[in-house]
Amino acid sequence: MIKTVDLEKIFVGRGQTVRAVDGITTHIKQGEVVVVIGPSGSGKSTYLRCLNGLETLTGGHVHVDGIDLANRKTDMNKIRREVGMVFQQFNLFPHKTVLENLVLAQMKVRKRKRIDAEKKARELLEKVGIAEKETNYPSQLSGGQQQRVAIARALAMDPKVMLFDEPTSALDPEMVGEVLEVMKQLAREGMTMVVVTHEMGFAREVADRVLFMDYGKLVEEGTPEHFFIEPQEERAKLFLRQVL
Amino acid sequence: MNTKNWLWWLLTILVLLGIVLGLWVATKRIDYTWRWNRVPQYFFYQDKDVKKTVIDGTVTKIEQKGKTSIITVHNSDNEDNVFIVDTETVNLDVDDYLMEDDTVGAILDWKAGPLVTGLWVTLWISALASIIGLVIGVVTGLCRVSKNLTLRQLSITYIELIRGTPLLVQLFIFYFFLGTVLDIGRLASGIFALAIFAGAYVAEIIRAGIQSIPKGQMEAARSLGMNVPQAMIYIILPQAFKRTLPPLAGQFISLIKDSSLVSVIAITDLTKSGREVITSTFAVFEIWFVVAFLYLILTFSLSQVVAWVERRLAVSD
Repeated sequence: MIKTVDLEKIFVGRGQTVRAVDGITTHIKQGEVVVVIGPSGSGKSTYLRCLNGLETLTGGHVHVDGIDLANRKTDMNKIRREVGMVFQQFNLFPHKTVLENLVLAQMKVRKRKRIDAEKKARELLEKVGIAEKETNYPSQLSGGQQQRVAIARALAMDPKVMLFDEPTSALDPEMVGEVLEVMKQLAREGMTMVVVTHEMGFAREVADRVLFMDYGKLVEEGTPEHFFIEPQEERAKLFLRQVL
Repeated sequence: MNTKNWLWWLLTILVLLGIVLGLWVATKRIDYTWRWNRVPQYFFYQDKDVKKTVIDGTVTKIEQKGKTSIITVHNSDNEDNVFIVDTETVNLDVDDYLMEDDTVGAILDWKAGPLVTGLWVTLWISALASIIGLVIGVVTGLCRVSKNLTLRQLSITYIELIRGTPLLVQLFIFYFFLGTVLDIGRLASGIFALAIFAGAYVAEIIRAGIQSIPKGQMEAARSLGMNVPQAMIYIILPQAFKRTLPPLAGQFISLIKDSSLVSVIAITDLTKSGREVITSTFAVFEIWFVVAFLYLILTFSLSQVVAWVERRLAVSD
């Protein structure tokens, strides 16, 4: 589904060079739930943002469904509509109602008719449990509700993969559960997911595979059982001691 | 209004009255005679189209039809001369004898005076310049935040040139230089000078508006597969427009006021009309006060409209 080969992203600014993603090779298979964890500043988010071309690559390749994002001829917009993304800060469109947030891209990008787009939007709002809020504006919703709308908005495009960039980090603790519940349901339905998170419980319960990153490098990967119980690398052990 | 405030209200009114009284006393001391009664005719006046007979003859028939009368003058050569005039202007009886060039009557007609036509010219010049200025401003503002270096440099050059020179000088350049070279009239020169002047300020307002929208909005739009123009049109610009509405309104209010400068290139706007009226009335103080008040009506109406739009857009807050 998504293959990265020697993925490299270097930020240069103010005389500093930061190797945010430093040669990562991964293969995310169809239907797989991959959780990316690591200390802050380890490049997890940057790695995720490279997967749908939000960051331009410094080096290496990302193949989504066999199409190389590093190829300049690739139409990024076509790739992005197949790859849904959920952000830490929700990034709902504040000037549009909840329903319009879900309908807009369906009509403009997928060229669906309004009636079909609204039907799809209502189904998804029902699914994430906020059907009654469709006429509200994002500012009138709680953080958890906003994030669920954001998930529904991404799903409305019928993506083949969903990327989650710390989806619960900006939420009040009591709202984390409702968002994770929606994500678990998605995972059960067989959605291919790449999740950057600090929710170790979620990683343990839902992940098929865990990637541990530090200093832009992929330090360790394996099943949750392997990773949480008998990590091999010293840095992974240190990290787990600090968070668990 | 609560009880605590009304005393302050009273004080405000007293202070304002005091200022007006002071002005009145000051004009008394320089023996200025206020002639407000001369002003209304420059808003609307009754035009009198006098009808005169071209033959010598007798009035044979006066037929009244409501407010108009049909008068027939008959001469010795058996010619008839028929006039349709307003009844109230007729001062004739049947069998009256008229010589050539005698007045039969007149047609009365209300017409807009110079102050009204001047106000209208100011209004449409400002409106047209605002619309063109907004278009120029949005395009330049987008160029200003573009990734393309040339577009960025060109927009900065334009903005710096316009903001660094006086509007009056720009008007002269437009009228005397561009007007001559490109062979465009004074109205077009005036409107384009105003539009291009406003456009530079609008561009900076729009740029600030676009940059004030969190980066995540563009990323969210792009991650849904929208291209940059779609994201701009549907996501960024509507939000930027809402945020920049107050400074934009200020800019267009300035534009209405600045439009008074076009009077120097002989466009008969409100200011120039005022000057013309003064040359025939010598009511200098009255006319300038009236002109100021008319500008105030325009600017105040615009700020009210904008306040209404702002309230409508506030639903998503």
